[in-house]
Amino acid sequence: MRGTTRTVAVAAMSAVALLAAGCGSGDSDGDQSSAGGGAEGGEITVYGCNPQNPLVPQNTGETCGGDVLDQVFSKLVHYDADTAAPENDQAESIDTDDNQNFTIKIKQGLKFHDGTEIKAKNFVDAWNYAAYAPNGQYNGYFFEPIEGFGDLQCTGDGDDPCAKAGKPKAEEMTGLQVVDDYTFTIKTTEKVSNLPVRLGYSAFAALPDVFFDDPEAFGNKPVGSGPYKLDAWNKEQSIVLSKNADYTGDWPGKVDKITFKIYQDVDPAYNDVLADNLDIVTSIPASALIDDKYKSDLPDRNAQKETGRIDVLDFAPSSVDPNYDSVEVRKAISMAIDRDTIIQQIFNGTRTPATGWVSPVVDGYKADQCGEACTYDAEKAKSTLEAAGGFPGDKITLSYNADGGHKEWTEATCNSIKQALGVDCVAQGVVDFATFRSQIGDRKMKGMFRAGWQMDYPSIENFLAPLYKTGASSNDGDYSNPEFDDLIDQAAAATDEAEANSLYQQAEALLAEDMASIPMWYGKTTMGWSNNVTGVKITAFGTVDYTQVSVQ
Amino acid sequence: MTEQSIVEAPPTVDPHDAGEVGEERSLASDAWRAMRRNPLFWVSAVMIAVFVVMAAFPGLFTRTDPTVPVLAEARSRPGDGTWFGRDIQGYDIYARCIYGARASILVGLFTSIGTVLLGGTVGVIAGYVGGWVDSLLSRIGDVFFAIPLLLGAIIFLVSLPDFFNNNYLLIVLKVVLALVVLGWPSLARLMRSSVIQVKPNDYVQAARALGASPGRIIRSHVLPNALAPMIVVATINLGAYIAAEATLSFLGIGLQYPAISWGIDISSAIVGLRTTPHMLFFPGMFLSLAVLAFIMLGDAVRDALDPKSR
Repeated sequence: MRGTTRTVAVAAMSAVALLAAGCGSGDSDGDQSSAGGGAEGGEITVYGCNPQNPLVPQNTGETCGGDVLDQVFSKLVHYDADTAAPENDQAESIDTDDNQNFTIKIKQGLKFHDGTEIKAKNFVDAWNYAAYAPNGQYNGYFFEPIEGFGDLQCTGDGDDPCAKAGKPKAEEMTGLQVVDDYTFTIKTTEKVSNLPVRLGYSAFAALPDVFFDDPEAFGNKPVGSGPYKLDAWNKEQSIVLSKNADYTGDWPGKVDKITFKIYQDVDPAYNDVLADNLDIVTSIPASALIDDKYKSDLPDRNAQKETGRIDVLDFAPSSVDPNYDSVEVRKAISMAIDRDTIIQQIFNGTRTPATGWVSPVVDGYKADQCGEACTYDAEKAKSTLEAAGGFPGDKITLSYNADGGHKEWTEATCNSIKQALGVDCVAQGVVDFATFRSQIGDRKMKGMFRAGWQMDYPSIENFLAPLYKTGASSNDGDYSNPEFDDLIDQAAAATDEAEANSLYQQAEALLAEDMASIPMWYGKTTMGWSNNVTGVKITAFGTVDYTQVSVQ
Repeated sequence: MTEQSIVEAPPTVDPHDAGEVGEERSLASDAWRAMRRNPLFWVSAVMIAVFVVMAAFPGLFTRTDPTVPVLAEARSRPGDGTWFGRDIQGYDIYARCIYGARASILVGLFTSIGTVLLGGTVGVIAGYVGGWVDSLLSRIGDVFFAIPLLLGAIIFLVSLPDFFNNNYLLIVLKVVLALVVLGWPSLARLMRSSVIQVKPNDYVQAARALGASPGRIIRSHVLPNALAPMIVVATINLGAYIAAEATLSFLGIGLQYPAISWGIDISSAIVGLRTTPHMLFFPGMFLSLAVLAFIMLGDAVRDALDPKSR
């Protein structure tokens, strides 16, 4: 339940999200689940929130809608609930010789909920629709690696870049070709070694023909292909899913009916779980996290798991604010932050101190990449800063979006910096997330600012390339290191996974050398459930694993 | 906002005391005499004095800097090395409560002065001049009166430019401005009706007949005799404005960092309601006591100024 918008890529932990984190004492490995293997059937209710956009997988980049769509749509690839490792779902095979030309065969006989068969063209059409800029699909940028993507983008300026001359040159990407009913090919502009991993993200789901007849009506009652079908979306109240009897995949759900009850705030949802009026709450409010209150409220009915999320502090680009140019100054600031105490006191243990720029949940994670620069040492921080000639400006600023519950930890972080370095540090709230992001995007934000990254797909690449490659979409600090870019390109072209991971790790080590940003902590998700259900497990994405949940 | 429903004519001379001679018995001394006998007055006066000293010289009460936290001891209970414990950030709650008095007293005082000046002036002009001026001013007052205080203040504060967040005084002034803009009409109405009541009195007519200028008549004859209800309401309102400031700060739009305010502290302590309620209790108690003190003082003043209640 991170409010993290996947598109903006950064930062969004909504108020809900802050509350979302769990609590805990660091023993989060081991059994976060109660015993599985319960009976099939029955109904459950789950905490839900208002989807931001119509329920179309290509247009949903936040978890309120995403949690629902994950059940309604199956994808080519399925991520393992525990390890996030990709396995073929609708795909029979995904083959490539050069990481640039991919041949995808889909299983025969798969059906959408309306009974039509899933064919190769359902994928190609959906992807072209999503990438075609005038359609304004939220997840359109996921198709960027595919050849011909640029021709589907608008070129005009102003309020409506798609008007008149700005209209895209083409409506279909040249890199997508339907071979036969069950086979299609993808050609990417550059080598992309982890493309098969990406295909499990909801943006890559197939859409039935009925979608193209009336996309708007479809968004209110989507016809999917997953283990559950959507019965009704009662706006502001609930979203009701029922089991898809025709589901032939390997990951069916156990319960017959899932109702997402929509709440404005997680506190009442939590109270409903205490009263057994709601079955699963996918995040725990801050009020119950303090002193592990939820553990005594919901004994044996809570779970916590590390999920693919990292929070960092970015530095404004040198052209905007040169005060943070020196690597030594950056390292001094990083060493001045007492991550352990902040996590314990502000987050009640629902974060893990970051020791690098990549989340531990993905394959290729290497511990302690940041080294001593991410270890709190007030004296060393001060001496490092003095050796670097002190802080050039009069005060350090740390900006955050004031609508996301970030005030507490930014204030605590600033206090920690202030006490260790003796330099004034001010946490500055920016009124809301949209304003905050646009100030960063326009390169007007000075000083340091917070950024959160929720992985789109479980790959080490997703934590490095979009954030730190020269000119990448979410490279907010305008970090640029040719050596880093080179390693990322090499890794993307590598055919051997181990080799690719090692190259990515080398690239990450460069981030540590340059202190491209300050890693803060990795996220955890905490859930609680009522007496009515059993077998609740948290996936590596922080969602409920519905293949395990059953009614008690 | 409290409003006086019945405005009494100021007492002239109390018949019971008429027999005593040699002592000047002005309205003020009369009120003072009555107030001195009221224990409510003394209780509230002592409390207010303490709060005012707290606001002016917080260093007398604590040597702890309210902006230096000990994060490792965050949420510690009262008595664990500090009088009132520590809050979520590890700030000393006792020091925060002491330093929070300044913002509340300043906002309450400035807002009261502002509303008295603005509302009083408008009320006197409307009441004394009458006619279309009265209608115009009263209707303008009605427009502001119709805006709910909190809603209006939220809109007002959110739309103010960032300039007001520059330093402590400006942050306080911003809240004062919002409350004055929305609070003056009740005092203007009160003043207008008092003035209308005083205006037909013989001594006013006599002064006019003798050729006194309107300014002089208002200054020497109307104002002294019409001021009492406004003083009472302004005093009671002072407490209400302190509460309003805390409410706005609680909502995150009133006072902001670097200002320290009870409202801010209450807001940040709310998550601990079930687990560490002391974080909420102490700033809440200080706020309640301050509001109570001013409302009690207002009550005592009313008792003193209103001869009917004697």
